[in-house]
Amino acid sequence: MGTAPVREVHDLEHERFLEEVHSFEFWFHSVEGYLSGTTYGHREETVDDSPSGAVDRQHLITVLSNYCIGEMAALEGASGLIAIAPNQLTKIFLSTQVADEGRHLEVLLHRMRDLGVKYPAQEADRRASRGLKQFRHELLRLVQGRDWEAAIFAQNVILESLEFAVFRAHAEGADPVTKEILDGIIKDERRHIGFGENELGRRLHAAPHVRTRLARVREELDHLILDMLEDSSREIGVEPDRKAELARAYLQSVERLGFT
Amino acid sequence: MVDPLQSPEEVEGRTERRRFVLEETGFDEVPKRYRKFYRKWRGPGDQLGPNEAICPVCKVVIRSSRELWPGDRLYCMPCMSRLVVVESADGTLEARVSY
Ligand SMILES: [Fe+2]
Ligand SMILES: [Fe+2]
Ligand SMILES: [Zn+2]
Repeated sequence: MGTAPVREVHDLEHERFLEEVHSFEFWFHSVEGYLSGTTYGHREETVDDSPSGAVDRQHLITVLSNYCIGEMAALEGASGLIAIAPNQLTKIFLSTQVADEGRHLEVLLHRMRDLGVKYPAQEADRRASRGLKQFRHELLRLVQGRDWEAAIFAQNVILESLEFAVFRAHAEGADPVTKEILDGIIKDERRHIGFGENELGRRLHAAPHVRTRLARVREELDHLILDMLEDSSREIGVEPDRKAELARAYLQSVERLGFT
Repeated sequence: MVDPLQSPEEVEGRTERRRFVLEETGFDEVPKRYRKFYRKWRGPGDQLGPNEAICPVCKVVIRSSRELWPGDRLYCMPCMSRLVVVESADGTLEARVSY
């Protein structure tokens, strides 16, 4: 869209706005703002004040293991979705999401290595919760079944809203390096949850019958999600009232789309 | 936050919308030319200005160079949402997603 100063961004035509925010160009100049000057998701000078006690350290490694499997699911999901995306804009956007998810997986594995894990990928697979692994399996089944709406719903609405809520809660109390890594991931995830919700919102508006199918998908995945939320809250030490807040944050996007 | 008014004398009649001069506030999640239209919510002590609304999807503060009125359209670039400003039950303005 060029580099000329923008007087009022809210005056853009909707079509023009969608073209802009789905573009590789927009993504590139967005991530440049918060990733340049970082190494594996954090600034070199940030003091590594990670938990020194063995129990807390193991706890953090388990939490990161779950994040890695979530990111792996999102990476495989987003890349598979490119083939079934309905148009060029969504294909290009998903290519940027694939890059984001690959980065997330890489920085999280790297963080595990920082914490003394010799084979982080294997360790992540060993430690991650059963529910999360099952979710990954279900998500890939939807992608392979070429069900665009259901797969976007499972990945960009359900999985990513949960990640977004959990990462935000974790970042608040995390050690400085983990916090910086999570803060960067959260900025990327904003695009992913927004893409999912808006893409589905538009499609549900145009084809209301899709709703019944998605309600079924939600029913199948809900227990896995709530188990994941329960596990994650415990691992990151979320207080009970804060846990309810996390669940609400996850449910809000689902409810905005009209699922109660 | 309260942005400086573009022309303070416009406040007089109030049939006109107030206009604001937007400056960047350190928000780094969109390309440089769009940064002044967004800022981070600074927590419980923070307040929205008459030209600001919170994005319900991603919780970023969206800013406009105009005072917001019900029916206005806003774009949240950080999460790619189109929003519309509505008056909520308690009389305050809020942004709702408009797919
Ligand atoms: Fe991710
Ligand atoms: Fe994501
Ligand atoms: Zn937003």
